[in-house]
Amino acid sequence: MTERDMLLERVAEVLKEPVAIDPDLDRRIMNEVRAGPTVRAPIGPVAWLIRRRVVSVSPLGGLALAAGIAAVALLGRSVWQATAPSAAPPSATVAATAEPTPSLVQFVILAPTAGTVSLVGDFNDWDRSATPMRPARGDGIWSVTVPLEPGRYRYAFLVDGQTWVADPSAPSTFDDDFGPPNSVVTVGGS
Amino acid sequence: MGIHDVTGESDGALVQRVLDGDTAAYAGLVSRYRDRLGRYAMRMLGNRADAEEALQDAFVRGYRSLRRCTDPERFGAWLFGILVNRCRTLGGRRARRQRTVVHDELALSRASVRDEGEQFALRETIRWAVAQLPSANREAFLLKHVEELSYEEMTEITGASVSALKMRVMRAREELQRLLSEVVHD
Repeated sequence: MTERDMLLERVAEVLKEPVAIDPDLDRRIMNEVRAGPTVRAPIGPVAWLIRRRVVSVSPLGGLALAAGIAAVALLGRSVWQATAPSAAPPSATVAATAEPTPSLVQFVILAPTAGTVSLVGDFNDWDRSATPMRPARGDGIWSVTVPLEPGRYRYAFLVDGQTWVADPSAPSTFDDDFGPPNSVVTVGGS
Repeated sequence: MGIHDVTGESDGALVQRVLDGDTAAYAGLVSRYRDRLGRYAMRMLGNRADAEEALQDAFVRGYRSLRRCTDPERFGAWLFGILVNRCRTLGGRRARRQRTVVHDELALSRASVRDEGEQFALRETIRWAVAQLPSANREAFLLKHVEELSYEEMTEITGASVSALKMRVMRAREELQRLLSEVVHD
């Protein structure tokens, strides 16, 4: 071991020494926790669908699911889309209606080696089991279409239940502290 | 980073209890991680007041966002990510305040080298040297060499790439070597 290595090892040893934390800190934390709203488990997908109003699905929705951007363009609605430059590029396409009713939002990700992919976001309380994605075709494309009311939603893809994938070509949000940035989709009027 | 000890429930079980409405179960998670996370905050921010503020903030934010913990068995790693961000925020705020205490700490560390026993002096000097590192390099060094995380875990927590993290760790090591050589051999 070189002199430099020994010095850095000593640095690490010193920094690993325990530090004194106020023994009252736990109580302060729990007081603040109890002062806020109680956290509950996310509601299941069935309850989520029931809570939201019945969604009128355009006949072109299926076409949009299959053909993505091209189909959305046919709808003639406002479109937000993202392309994916990486090996596993995700994308989301939105066709928003002018009505204050849920719009169909298609999320697509190319993940050829994935066993499972799910969509998580503000709209399903970040429940990884609520919105599983399905292989749309046999070429590694996973897709799901969900009804979303007008608003701004953060979302991400969860690949194989553990890999958190933000959309690299979609707007990202850094306004929280919960790990890697998420993507943002805004569903609005026409 | 997750804990399954023989004396208590796993992280995942405690998280589930909290999500089932048992708020008091969160105290078990606080107790489990306070010391390790407190040490990181202390090393990162350099003073107890800021460290405890960051720690409290991280735990409270963790509770309020618990539904977004996608792998409850790795609650600790998830919470660590929140703390890292809180330390970044507080560290930036502190830098903007231009605290004079930094200079006081420098004077203290150098005085210690002369006036105190060798071990105490070295300990103080090391803490001073770590405080001199750019925050991103200090963060990477602490996660790698003190928390002993893998680069993959560090990527998950910080959002930085493996290559960027390796570069930061290398620069931190070189800077510590330079700073400590200068002070110790004064």
